[in-house]
Amino acid sequence: MSNTTDDAIPPGWSYNPATLTQRLPIVAMAIVGFTIAMYLGLFQLKVISTVWEPFFGNGSQKILTSPTSQLLPVPDAILGAFGYFMDAVAGIIGSTRRWRTMPWIVVLFGVFVGPLGMISVLLVILQPVLYDAWCTLCLVTAAISVIMIGPAMDEMLASLQYMKRAKDANVSLWKVFWGYKEVQGKVI
Amino acid sequence: MWAQVINALLGIWLTASPAILGIEDKTISNNAHIVGPVVASLAVIAWWEATRVVRLYNIPLGLWLLLAPWVLGYDQTSVIINDMVIGAAIVGLSFVEGKIEGTYGGGWSAIWKKDSLHTTEARRTPRV
Repeated sequence: MSNTTDDAIPPGWSYNPATLTQRLPIVAMAIVGFTIAMYLGLFQLKVISTVWEPFFGNGSQKILTSPTSQLLPVPDAILGAFGYFMDAVAGIIGSTRRWRTMPWIVVLFGVFVGPLGMISVLLVILQPVLYDAWCTLCLVTAAISVIMIGPAMDEMLASLQYMKRAKDANVSLWKVFWGYKEVQGKVI
Repeated sequence: MWAQVINALLGIWLTASPAILGIEDKTISNNAHIVGPVVASLAVIAWWEATRVVRLYNIPLGLWLLLAPWVLGYDQTSVIINDMVIGAAIVGLSFVEGKIEGTYGGGWSAIWKKDSLHTTEARRTPRV
């Protein structure tokens, strides 16, 4: 296999969606999201006693101590922080050819960014509908989650198209998905 | 992309409108609080070329905003106008695809369709 950067561009694409220039901004956003979510989570765990709320009075307090936020054994912001952490990890792992050398991490990345972004939108909806309150930093983290979705999806598209080509060529999808060495290069 | 930027702003406006217009009715404000964030999120996802197609999911939501005042029985003229103008704008702007400069191997339907751009391109590429 040649080492030129050309072979990192998926066939039929005008660019490689897996370059670091493509991925690092998403990782950076995930780290910001992680930091804010950790701060909110520490408030929920009562490690810190107040939470920053510039616009909505006691809104943040109301939202962060609501029954929804305590639905699971772990406060929801801590789960959110874990989600952002996984976003960052799945965003950083792998080379610029990872859309075909390790589709599993790209798909995992897409799953962490996509559906988790949707959950944060759902949480935004629940704020006014169930509790008549808004939480500024929760809205900020939701905005971060939603902005991350679009740029993460192109890489997943390249991986899924690659897997489609592998399937058409009767190469084991299982081996392709997990990036087995023996199937590398069998499909472009 | 500008069309989806406006749609995102319309979604945020819709979310904020119960507070701004002083809507007391829980059904009407719930509708705005549910539809608004979804419209804004879908529009933001559609900012990028590879996911521009997501803009189409805002069409049914915009149509719903045109119907909602009559289905849910709004009684405030300003709120009816707000909903319907925003709904019509969202529908119209969702149809605007905008400039697509890159190629994406045939897009999302290329995952299941035969002979799409990425398969034909891969066939033309010599094996190394």
